[in-house]
Amino acid sequence: MATKKKIKVLVTKVGLDGHDRGAKVVSSLLKEAGMEVIYLGMFQRPEGIVKAAIDEDVDVIGLSYLSGEHLIFTPKIVEEMKKNRVDDVLLLAGGTFPAEDIPTMEEMGIDKVFRAGSLTASIVDYIKDHVEE
Amino acid sequence: MGETNEKVAQNTQEGNWDDYIKAYYEKPASFKSWSGYDLKEIYRPGDRAEEDYNQNIADAGAYPYTRGIHANMFRGRLWTKREVVGIGSPADTHARLKYLSQQGGSGLNTIADVTYEMGLDADHPWAVDEVGLTGVNITSIKDMETLTKDIPLDKVSWSLITASTASSVTMAQYVAVAQDAGYDIGTLRGSIQNDPIHFRYCGFRPACPLDLSIKLGSDVMEYCTKNLPKWYYTTVNMYDLREQGVTAPQEVAFGFGIAMCYIDELIRRGLDIDEFAPRFTFYVSCHMDIFEEVAKIRAARRMWARLMKEKYGAKDPRSMQFRFAVHTAGCSLVPQQPFNNMIRIAYEALAAVLGGVQSLHCCSYDEPMCLPTERAHLQALRTQQILAYETGVTNVADPLGGSYYVESLTDKIEEEALKMMKEVEDLGGMEEAIRTEWLDRQFESEAVQRQKELDKAEKLVVGVNVFTTEQEKATPLGVQKISLNSAKQQIEAIKALKQARDMDRLNDAIKRLRDDANDGKNVIPAMIEATRASGTTGELLGTVREVFGYPYDPMETLKSPFNF
Repeated sequence: MATKKKIKVLVTKVGLDGHDRGAKVVSSLLKEAGMEVIYLGMFQRPEGIVKAAIDEDVDVIGLSYLSGEHLIFTPKIVEEMKKNRVDDVLLLAGGTFPAEDIPTMEEMGIDKVFRAGSLTASIVDYIKDHVEE
Repeated sequence: MGETNEKVAQNTQEGNWDDYIKAYYEKPASFKSWSGYDLKEIYRPGDRAEEDYNQNIADAGAYPYTRGIHANMFRGRLWTKREVVGIGSPADTHARLKYLSQQGGSGLNTIADVTYEMGLDADHPWAVDEVGLTGVNITSIKDMETLTKDIPLDKVSWSLITASTASSVTMAQYVAVAQDAGYDIGTLRGSIQNDPIHFRYCGFRPACPLDLSIKLGSDVMEYCTKNLPKWYYTTVNMYDLREQGVTAPQEVAFGFGIAMCYIDELIRRGLDIDEFAPRFTFYVSCHMDIFEEVAKIRAARRMWARLMKEKYGAKDPRSMQFRFAVHTAGCSLVPQQPFNNMIRIAYEALAAVLGGVQSLHCCSYDEPMCLPTERAHLQALRTQQILAYETGVTNVADPLGGSYYVESLTDKIEEEALKMMKEVEDLGGMEEAIRTEWLDRQFESEAVQRQKELDKAEKLVVGVNVFTTEQEKATPLGVQKISLNSAKQQIEAIKALKQARDMDRLNDAIKRLRDDANDGKNVIPAMIEATRASGTTGELLGTVREVFGYPYDPMETLKSPFNF
C-alpha cells in the first residue's frame, strides 16, 4: 500500500473577530491527529483565504467565527470558491452560532458546523470520513 | 401489539436499571480543583497555622483585606448590578440600557464592538460588515451624545468598556459630551476599562502596540487623576486572561503583572502611588469551581494589599484595597442544552458574591450562541436579584472565612500565584514576558490543555462530555438579530458628518493633538478638543499612532486625510 498523503487543513479567522483561542486549539489538535495544518490567523478576507487554499492545495478549510459574522462572511467565501472553481475542498465552520443559523449555513455551502463544546474526536472523525474517500 | 409494547417496556426497564445502579454508586470523577490542585478528603485545624489571623486574614475592612475591603460589606451597600450592553447602533444600545435600568439594574455598562476597539470609524472598509455585531461603535461625538442622551451623568455610575488604545478616545468623547451638557466632570462616577496591554491577547494586536498601550493607557489614568477624582480609570482585565484558558492563580499573577506595567509608568511620570492606586480596579472571572474562585478572590485581595504596601510603599489604605468587578465565565458556557447555562451562571455569581464582589455582570444564558436577547438579558439581571434579595448571602462579610478548606485553598492560590509572579520577574518583568511572547505561549499551551481535559473527560461538562443529547433545533428564548439597517444608518451618518465638518477647526485640533503627542504631553486634553471639532475615533487614534511610528490605520488600508 502506498503511504497515505497527510490531510491538509487550512484554519482561519475571518474579518475583525479576535477570538482565536478555538482556532488555535483546533489547529494544534488536528496536528496531533496527524494532519498538516496551515493556520492563517486573524484578519483574513474571503479572497485571501481562498487564494491560500488554492496555493496550498488543501483538503479542508476550517472557518472560526465567534462574533456573529458567520452569515455575512460565509456567502462571500463560498462565492469566492465558486469563482475559482474550488469544489473539492471540505468547508467547515466552528464557533458560536444559534441553532437556527446552522441550516442556513449549510444551505450557504458549509459542509459541517461544529459549535462551541465540540470534542476534538468529532472534528477529526468527520474530516477523516469525508476526505479519505 | 401489546406483546411488543411489553417487550419494549422490559428492555427499557433493564437498560434503565443498569444505568440507575451505576449512577447510585457513582463517585466524582476527580478530586482536583478546577486549576488542577489535589484536594484532601477533609481539611482540619492542623492544615493551617492558627496564630496568624490578624496578620494574614484579619477582619473585613482591615489590612490585608483578605476578608473584604469594607467592614460591613453588603450591609453598607449591595454590589452594583451591572449588565453589559452593546448591540447595533448607539441608539439600539441606549434603548437596551434604559430597559435594564428600569428593571432594577443599578449600574450602566456599555461595551465597544470589534470595529471601535480596533479604532476604526464605522465607515472604514473593514468595519462596514461588522459594525454593531458585538457591541457599539462610537465614531464621533454625535454617537456618544446618542448613547448618553437623557441620562444624568452626574448621578449614574457608568462603566465604559473600551479596552484597547481606543479607550483614550472613549474617555475624550465621554468627557466632551459631559462638559458640553454642562456637567462638572469632577462629579462623574464610573469606570473605563482602559487596559490596552491585555487586549493584545484578545485579537487586537494591531490596535495595541505595547509602547502605545502603556502611553495611552497611562495618559487616561494621569488625566483622570487630575480631573475626575471619582472616576475609576483602569479596570485591569484579569477576566479576559482567564478566558484564554489559564488557571485561577495564573489569572491573578498575569493580571497583577500587567497592572504593574501601568503603575511603574505612572510612578515614572512623577505621580505618587497613593495619588492613583485608589482608582485602580480589576475585572475578575468567576468560573465553575465555587470554592477555588472564592479562594482566588481572597488571595488576590491579600496579595494586592501587600504588593501596594510592601513593594510600592503605599500609605493610604484605599491604595491597598483590591476593588473588582466580576464577569461570570463566558467560556464555561456551551450551546448544548442551553438552559443549563443559567445554572452555571448562578453558581458563578454565587462565588463572586461569597468572594465580596463590588460590581457584577452575569452572562446571559445565550452567550455561546448570540448577543443576549432582551429576555435573556433580563434573566441574567434576575439571577443577580434572586441572589441579592432572596438567598441571605448579603448578611455577613466573607461567610466562608475561617473554613479550614477555603483558608487553606486561599493560601495555596496565593503561593502558586506568587511563584508565577516571581517567574515573570526573573524573565525581566511583564513587559519583557510580553515582548518575548512568553505570555502568548502560556495561553496557548493552557488552552490546548483545557480542551484535552474535556476530550479525555478529566473535566466534565454536562451536555458536552457527559449526559449528552441530540442537538437542539432552536434557541429557547429566541435569537438576537442585529439590525443591518442600524449599521447602515450609522455609516451614512458618519459619512455625512465628515462632509459637513468645519475643516479648519478640525485641522487645527488635529495639529494640536499631533504636536502634543510629539512633545510627549498627555494627549487627552487635545483629544477632547479634537472630538469637539468632530474628529473621529480613527482620526484621533491614527494621528497619535503615526507620531509613534505606526501606520495611521491599524488595518493598513486607509491613509491619514490630514496633510500638514
